[in-house]
Amino acid sequence: MLTASQIDELRAAVGVDGLITGQSQLQTYECDGLTNFRVMPEAVVLPRSAEQVQAVVRLCARDRVPFVSRGAGTGLSGGALPAAGGIVISLARMNRILNVDLANRQVVVEPGVINAHVTQRVSAQGYFYAPDPSSQSVCTIGGNVAENSGGAHCLKYGFTVTHVLALEVVLPSGELVHLGSPTMDTPGYDLPGVFVGSEGTLGVATRITLRIVKRPEVVQTLLAAFGSIEAAGQTVSDIIAARMLPAALEIMDALSIQAAEAAVHAHYPVCNGLLLVELDGPQNEVEVLMREVQSLCGNNGAWEIRVAQSEQERALVWKGRKAAFAAVGRISPNYIVQDGVIPRTALPSLLTEIDRMASAAGLRVANVFHAGDGNLHPLVLYDGAIPGQEEKALELSYRILRLCVDNGGSITGEHGVGKEKQEALGYMFSEPDLATMQLVRCAFDPENIANPDKVFPRPRLCAEKPGPYMPHPLETAGIAEIF
Amino acid sequence: MGTSAPLTLKQGAAHLAAIIGAEHSIVRGETVVAVPADVQQVAEVLRFTNANGLTVMPSGNGTKLGWGNPVVPDIELSLKRISELREHAWQDMTCTVEAGCSWAAMEAQLEQHGQMVALDPLWPDLATVGGIVASNDSGALRLRFGGLRDLIIGMTIVLADGTVAKTGGKVVKNVAGYDLHKLMTGSLGTLGVITEVNFRLHPIVEHARTWTVVVIDEALPDASRFAAPLRTLMDSQITPSSVQLRMSKHECALDIRIAAVPECLDDYAARIQKILGKLAVTESSEEVWRARQRLFDRSDAVVLKVSLFPSEICAVISVLQQWEAEGGLDVAVVAQATGLMTVAFNPAGGAAIALIERLRASLVAVGGSVVALHVPDGLRGTIDVWGYGSDALPLMREIKGRFDPNRILNPGRFVGNI
Repeated sequence: MLTASQIDELRAAVGVDGLITGQSQLQTYECDGLTNFRVMPEAVVLPRSAEQVQAVVRLCARDRVPFVSRGAGTGLSGGALPAAGGIVISLARMNRILNVDLANRQVVVEPGVINAHVTQRVSAQGYFYAPDPSSQSVCTIGGNVAENSGGAHCLKYGFTVTHVLALEVVLPSGELVHLGSPTMDTPGYDLPGVFVGSEGTLGVATRITLRIVKRPEVVQTLLAAFGSIEAAGQTVSDIIAARMLPAALEIMDALSIQAAEAAVHAHYPVCNGLLLVELDGPQNEVEVLMREVQSLCGNNGAWEIRVAQSEQERALVWKGRKAAFAAVGRISPNYIVQDGVIPRTALPSLLTEIDRMASAAGLRVANVFHAGDGNLHPLVLYDGAIPGQEEKALELSYRILRLCVDNGGSITGEHGVGKEKQEALGYMFSEPDLATMQLVRCAFDPENIANPDKVFPRPRLCAEKPGPYMPHPLETAGIAEIF
Repeated sequence: MGTSAPLTLKQGAAHLAAIIGAEHSIVRGETVVAVPADVQQVAEVLRFTNANGLTVMPSGNGTKLGWGNPVVPDIELSLKRISELREHAWQDMTCTVEAGCSWAAMEAQLEQHGQMVALDPLWPDLATVGGIVASNDSGALRLRFGGLRDLIIGMTIVLADGTVAKTGGKVVKNVAGYDLHKLMTGSLGTLGVITEVNFRLHPIVEHARTWTVVVIDEALPDASRFAAPLRTLMDSQITPSSVQLRMSKHECALDIRIAAVPECLDDYAARIQKILGKLAVTESSEEVWRARQRLFDRSDAVVLKVSLFPSEICAVISVLQQWEAEGGLDVAVVAQATGLMTVAFNPAGGAAIALIERLRASLVAVGGSVVALHVPDGLRGTIDVWGYGSDALPLMREIKGRFDPNRILNPGRFVGNI
């Protein structure tokens, strides 16, 4: 419980209108996009400046009050779930774009700036901000930094970390530091590299220098309908083998197509495997490559191939894809979104196994993939009104993640570990791996007050010594030693 | 292992010989060169050195051992015997390679499936994967493909206390846990020993052409005339794989390389000529992209890595040209369009320190940096190699303290004498 004097101090730090303590208002902040975990915070602060963030964090450091920073709360792994007895620092009011430097292709923003607003700000000059998570019209750059967000176009353009040059950060001690710089290869350790994707456990970013990218001359988007996911997957392999690096390669299965159609009427062909290929670049090059893609689709038995003929058509294609998660709500009362990664070649066998596991559990799984980089989003459908089905669905979704690890992949490609996948992180990494990560954590946050009890499988104290060497799960499984 | 009395060099070598075999523990001057066979032996060597407070310098083929502040270690831990390409999952476009493998040896194997790690480091025939990663080297391809931080997807490291840790994985997209491999990249062996690296791969470029514009035969060819065309090029929708500006005493040149499907390359040539207006564009060979490495061939020269805003490249080169005119330093520059610039000059008298200080005075305040990569023997110890004083330094020291509390790994070599 925060004391009355702590509340007074917070009010003094952020102003009367920057502090929320009323129960009904606090409820807005009790969860993020992962709604099955809920914790009521003691207070929410809405600072307007780095100084105000510092004042709040200093109080937290002095009194060992845990804090969780939060952007738009769109995260899907519970990263912004409040800590019991703690404070939520909402960065929503720090939403200014501070500087645009087209000559050096960079933009300086506050953490509460919405992802899509960065592109909007520079699009008239022919630039865009490349990372495009499906939630980009509402999610914030601060949240993207915490999660190292990707999106459909990261195959070609990279992740948030590729586009962050420098960060101003309030450390869990309340100190303000500058990580990286607006030029490349700042001397010293690559601290932006480790801060991006640290899920709010290393501090609060209060200012971010982003790279922007020149908009390509043309963008062409193709839809191809296949009789099976395998045929769509083979086409992806063929495109990669033909030395192309498309801007996006997405696959949807019959269930997710059905859901997207019901929700946004994207006019997708009804099929078992829908492949979406987007190429961008100079016009003549894209035209040459698109012809090659069409022929590869044909070779693999695509029975309908469409290239979007206008920007509206293209936007509709993407609207369907980006709405796929929410759209599943149209065909199932409840669902769990998962976020596993596998080496692309493991896709066919993994899908067969997921099918088998789903049938055995008596559940349906819809699949949406970023096929180019092996990132799959199985959507486990269930009915929460049926007793025991939610538990079954959760268990199935975790088993799918373990299957990804067993295939040499990862438990998360873009959603983060957060609260949801802490145990799974322990399946993917061995004790020494986790203990080494913990060294970084302790250097930034020795008191463990920044988003505590997230990411890592069990709470640790910074004074703990790492244990003896233990074989990696992949080694035990005989997967790591391939040659 | 006890710590009551310091070990003599001979005793240290004997202990190491027991771990890795006498033929792989060689006394050379004040240092024992230990050449372990595998990651377990690396861990054992480090456990021994850590317990006895013996300092360790990890090494590959020694091409960049002079980078950073000078270190005279008790043990040179050579990764030469840990040098295999362990896995090339060509259909997934990833590979796992041991740190002691030379870049060229790795490339030769990846090439069998038409793939590459999209980086053009210095001395690829000699330099090892581990050394390139530890020094965060990169060349002209960075414009198109990013640096090592964008190409490395996982790593195996051994900490000072012998802990073997894996980070990342073998898939391109992965946000599970902290990206320790980013922390290790460029850390110059001060946080741990890199034993294995996982890369994402790209297809080998099949069709690429390079175009060059040269300005010569002037008393002082002025780099500033390239400022406008360079800006137009970088603001265009042409996507070059490399762009560099070269400057030496009597010559200034702009090189542009484009990789594309063959039927489009002629069109690019026309577009580039249009941007460069009256300046004559000629096609040149891949050889021009070795210009950065050639700056290091001048063994008597100071070589700097300068990082600056891309918009300032031509202006800074012009300033260097003026200083050249004043001091006869024989300055040569290769600047990538990314804002990474290599500067070589002859350190006549005290002029070296003065030049570095002048450059830092104009660049550091606006977010740039000037690091002395190569310093001739006569000047070593007199030059502030890093010139770095960020408010993040205490945090970096804290990280070093957590990873290597006994300060055995390259002590003093890194920024702020980390």
